[in-house]
Amino acid sequence: MSKEEFRSILIGAVSGNHEDLEKILELYMPLIEKNSYLNGNRDEDLKQYLMIHIALQIGKFPI
Amino acid sequence: MNHQEKSERDELRARFTGWLEVTLYRAKLNYVKKLERDKGIVYVDEMPEELWASENPERNWIQEISEPDVFHFEEERLEDAFDRLSEQRREILSMLFVEERTPKEVAGRIGCSLRHVYKQRSQALKQLRKMLEEGGEDNE
Repeated sequence: MSKEEFRSILIGAVSGNHEDLEKILELYMPLIEKNSYLNGNRDEDLKQYLMIHIALQIGKFPI
Repeated sequence: MNHQEKSERDELRARFTGWLEVTLYRAKLNYVKKLERDKGIVYVDEMPEELWASENPERNWIQEISEPDVFHFEEERLEDAFDRLSEQRREILSMLFVEERTPKEVAGRIGCSLRHVYKQRSQALKQLRKMLEEGGEDNE
């Protein structure tokens, strides 16, 4: 993904565009997965919680 | 792609990645804290039916869950044994363990030596232990 593509998607996600948010979530899924483990076990509820948290907080990221 | 373009692309992405890592870390901490808070909660729909469908309306099922019978039994035995102690020993133990005062404070309040407080505490605890071991029968 080029610099301009990433910037465009990120700006869209920060502005509340759902499609762009989905792309960001997809792009960062390995990081979300990595944080979805508790005591060595994968926690699906935690994963959902993190994804919702990103959706709610991404608007605060300063571009 | 030259070096400058790569550097510019990495800057925004790296900044966002860093922000996201911190955000995810904090969210995970909040999630774990919430789990810890909810640990002691028993939801009504998870309770055995006999607890809330008791035929005896006087039955306090909340108390039964939080304070099992064995606890009541031990507490009553301890209370009986405690009542058999001399007034001064009861007073000293109350100040030490209920009011959480220091032995020095206790000595000052009842007007005796620190040594006397230590001795009375030690003897009172021995007496209590003996009474509990003998099933509440005080032979002293």
